[in-house]
Amino acid sequence: MREVAVIGCGVTKFGHHWEKDHEDLLVEATYEAISDANIELKDVEAVWCGTFYPSTGISGNVFSDTVKFFGKPISRVENYCATGMDNIRNAAFAVASGAYDIVIAAGVEKLMDAGSRGLPPIEGIFSVGMPVVSAPAMFAMAANRAFKEWGWTREDLALVAVKNHYNGARHPKAHFRKEVTVERVLKAPMVAYPLGVFDCSAVSDGAAAVVLTRPEIAKQMVGDDYAVIKAIGMAVETMHPWHRPSESFLSFPATVKAAKMAYKMAGIENPRKELDFGIVHDCFTVTELINYQDMQLCKPGEGAELIRNGVTAIDGDFPINPDGGLKSFGHPIAASGVRMVAELTKQVLGKAEGLQVKDAEAGFAHNLGGPYSVATVAIVSRS
Amino acid sequence: MASIGSCSVYLPVWKLSRDEISKETGMPSLGGEKAVAHWDEDSVTMAVEAARNLEGKFDAVIFASTSPPFRIKQCASFIASALDLPENIFTMDITDSMRAATDALITANEFVDSGRFSRVLVVAADRIPTKPGTLYEQLYGDAAAAIVVEKEGGAKILGYSTSTKPLPGSWMLAGDDTVRDYDMRVDARYGYASSVQQAAMPLFAKLGLSPADIDRIVASAPDPRSYEGLLKAVGARPEEFYFSSVGIAGSAHPLLLLATQLEKTGRILLGGYGEGADVLAIEIDEAMESNIGRMLESRKEISYGDYLYNRGFVGIRDAPDRPSLTKFWRDEKSIIRFYGMRCQNCGTVSYPISRCCIECGAKDNYEEVRLGERGKIYTFTVDYLVMPGNYTGDGVHPHCVAVVDLDGGGRVMFEVTDTLREFNGIECDAEVERTFRLLFEKNNFRYYGWKARLPR
Repeated sequence: MREVAVIGCGVTKFGHHWEKDHEDLLVEATYEAISDANIELKDVEAVWCGTFYPSTGISGNVFSDTVKFFGKPISRVENYCATGMDNIRNAAFAVASGAYDIVIAAGVEKLMDAGSRGLPPIEGIFSVGMPVVSAPAMFAMAANRAFKEWGWTREDLALVAVKNHYNGARHPKAHFRKEVTVERVLKAPMVAYPLGVFDCSAVSDGAAAVVLTRPEIAKQMVGDDYAVIKAIGMAVETMHPWHRPSESFLSFPATVKAAKMAYKMAGIENPRKELDFGIVHDCFTVTELINYQDMQLCKPGEGAELIRNGVTAIDGDFPINPDGGLKSFGHPIAASGVRMVAELTKQVLGKAEGLQVKDAEAGFAHNLGGPYSVATVAIVSRS
Repeated sequence: MASIGSCSVYLPVWKLSRDEISKETGMPSLGGEKAVAHWDEDSVTMAVEAARNLEGKFDAVIFASTSPPFRIKQCASFIASALDLPENIFTMDITDSMRAATDALITANEFVDSGRFSRVLVVAADRIPTKPGTLYEQLYGDAAAAIVVEKEGGAKILGYSTSTKPLPGSWMLAGDDTVRDYDMRVDARYGYASSVQQAAMPLFAKLGLSPADIDRIVASAPDPRSYEGLLKAVGARPEEFYFSSVGIAGSAHPLLLLATQLEKTGRILLGGYGEGADVLAIEIDEAMESNIGRMLESRKEISYGDYLYNRGFVGIRDAPDRPSLTKFWRDEKSIIRFYGMRCQNCGTVSYPISRCCIECGAKDNYEEVRLGERGKIYTFTVDYLVMPGNYTGDGVHPHCVAVVDLDGGGRVMFEVTDTLREFNGIECDAEVERTFRLLFEKNNFRYYGWKARLPR
């Protein structure tokens, strides 16, 4: 793909925003992004705005009626928990095609109005005869098989929570800003065996927005102070992994394929060597370990080694989730993937105060949705 | 006259001690245990479980119960579907009477004797709703029994006769939640023994038999003492009545007693009581295997609190909206008959039936295959955000689900049932078997389907 520049980022604080509507969140993120890009709303030619739950909003109107941005093309994107980054994919390809000069890709989710424990149920999407499983349960099934197959333990998973909360404690916009200990993680109430409360990302509210343009325009506007999206890979697999006999539950094929696609687009052969850090979809601790493998940072079964040896700590050989990840931010569905790209941008521009990865020039972000059925991988580097 | 070919009994996994009931309610204990259905079991699911053990084809199914889950809607057709019987068979329900099962047996006998049908499945099941703290709570137990009636079989029906006598026994009005009674003593003193004897007398005359020609007498009764009293009155030894282990299984009780009697040869009298009596004389030439022993042995104790949960008296069950009933009907072959597909292109067996193969994508190139009864857990979890039955989680009753590789192919995610808070034995590679259950109740309808349980 032709490179696309990120010239502005806006991210609200993530958390339980009982006093705020999706409107407040989206306005905050959008205006922070255009201010960061030093443009005005009227300069924007098209918008992609993600929402997962219809209760947050549907159609282009979710953006138009929030910021009163009328008369221009706006698409609502929905693609499970990968909604945010798929949104960026659509916006970036529209810019790369030359159709628009300046666009916004935003995502917002207002989950705290649903009054549910865990994510609100989605009605009628699974077959009638099938038992309903919560999101943590879907990933817990991967954990139990990994325990059986590779001897991973709850302690290994706990290390992921400890690492990500260590980073998140230093991020001003994170939902949770406290460190946790392995002991606390292990003693927390069970959500879906073997995942306890601290193995799960929280249900949070939040919004994020980025301003995209072509690199040549970016150069005129902000000099060298911009990042470029070098690649975005995406793959969709079955939403019924439990009905596919070949499914191992030890790897998420959507991630494997999206990563290969992105690495190929960006000309990367060895991501561990050629990239400096990554942001992965740590919706659950076990997901992060499997992501290490699927993103080709190590061989199958070795994910736990990376966390045990501190490879993915912020000062490690290949930091993962230096921002604190979904573990610290929570997961307002459609906002997460957009926020990940905003975090990548900050890192490669050296603006990640207090959480800066040393010599971060290029990294990846990975957004995973559904029962591991939708994955997007973006590669962002300094201009 | 027709014969009985085989039999099968189903007891739910739970047994509740009557002393435990007494401790919690203050009612005097009647001793022993009663069979208690899991929350997802009713007369339809227990009937399917009993009938599933029987082999061969049927051309008629008669379902007998006093607790059918529907006021209007045939249960037998539903049971036939779960048993994957052909759509051209005859199905009927006999309900609302404690004599329903013996009525069904008599009807099946006539069907076969007349040559109209060759092999009739008679299946009776009851889960009589009782109010906590009543005598009925201790009297009734939940169970099902199935009998095959056919031309040639190991036990010959010699004849039958009946009596009728409307008495104020137990009853339920159409809108009642639990069973009622006026005074049980009336039924016990004036109804039971005289009705059974009144029915038996002409049968003896018709068959040219005397009571001395009968080896054993079993009959359902409003209470165990009435049965003992009857046997004493006729000078015979009471048989095992299963009150101390099961309780009175409502209309299913006569078939439960019959199934256990079939384990030994001899000439027996079988009575079914309820506003009169049915009495059948049966000559058992070949002893048949009954699974009652295995059913009794493979049970677990339940606390009174968990029993109240199973009965729906404790906790909130709030199911999210589910797909429409037309979808449930369209997918019947997968959901109820439990068919998957074998791809003709890559050979993969998968579930449910769908147009394109989940592995190779080949379009409309498959054969429908009924999936296996048992399988191995590939992976599993215990989900505290969801309650069994897809209800919103209460954090106390977790939802155990397992991804199971079925024998013969096909991978299916099942709810693991017959467990409330203990999940010992549920692990990767553990063996499980299918069981027919209520999936959930929503849209004022009951959705049934298959779950998994540890083998019994």
